[in-house]
Amino acid sequence: MSVEIGSEIPEWSMPDVDPNRMKTMAAILRDPYPVHWDRQSVANIGLGERVINQGPLNLSYISNMLMAWQGATCIRRLQVSFGRPVLDHDHVTATGTVTSLETVDGEARAHCEVRLMRDGQPVVTGTAVIALE
Amino acid sequence: MAGLRSSHESGTVMSAMSEDELRDLVGHRFPGGHRRIEHWENWLLTDCTGREQLPDHLVHPVALFHVPIQGVGTTIAELFALGQVEGAGSVGLDGYDWEYFQPLREDIEYRFDGGVIETERCRPDGEATYDRFVFSIDLTTPDGTSAARITNHWRLRR
Repeated sequence: MSVEIGSEIPEWSMPDVDPNRMKTMAAILRDPYPVHWDRQSVANIGLGERVINQGPLNLSYISNMLMAWQGATCIRRLQVSFGRPVLDHDHVTATGTVTSLETVDGEARAHCEVRLMRDGQPVVTGTAVIALE
Repeated sequence: MAGLRSSHESGTVMSAMSEDELRDLVGHRFPGGHRRIEHWENWLLTDCTGREQLPDHLVHPVALFHVPIQGVGTTIAELFALGQVEGAGSVGLDGYDWEYFQPLREDIEYRFDGGVIETERCRPDGEATYDRFVFSIDLTTPDGTSAARITNHWRLRR
């Protein structure tokens, strides 16, 4: 399938953000913040009683979309900003759109807008530079 | 802190850090060091992202959050201490800029070097004061080739 300006990247969904994966992730990251595994600590800062997904995991869903689209070594750059937190059992979907094309040292690349969406609203937004297959 | 709270969240902590002290953080260098990403770690990390394992010992791209921090010889907790913040809600995540110069692979002994490159005290109208805290870390391969660079932007709430 050809890639053109305006092409939509096939979506990648995480239908049920799993709190157990947050626990494993917290251990891997050596992240001392309890908001990823202790519901009471989230309640203490006024955000309810659902634990907060790690930002890198939110970004990973966008990475997974890009790798599913153009292969496991396609990512050249990711620039993202984070909005509202993603919580356990949220359903989020990564989406993206090609905004420009270029060739760098013989490599065809796409510049893309990328987003992680929940209930129709973005929770992560940014850009990606992707090497095309 | 990696899940990170957005700007609307509460739970700020007071800090005695002055603007001069904040400015002096610019140029702070992390110890630097070497680190490899082992298969078990990459397997678990990739599993957490909800996708199948990657081929050819490729490391999941999201490893660029924790591996540089650990490889350069610091920790999330030490970064909090450097910025004189502590406690849930005290740190927010403004954004990442991650550049991949080559695919990362398991069991390669990468070199890590970096430091604090930018700070700024911000007093937005009608909102609590916070500090921008930006650090950057470079990854190089054993032969000295650049592998990746991360620049992370954090928000330290005062």
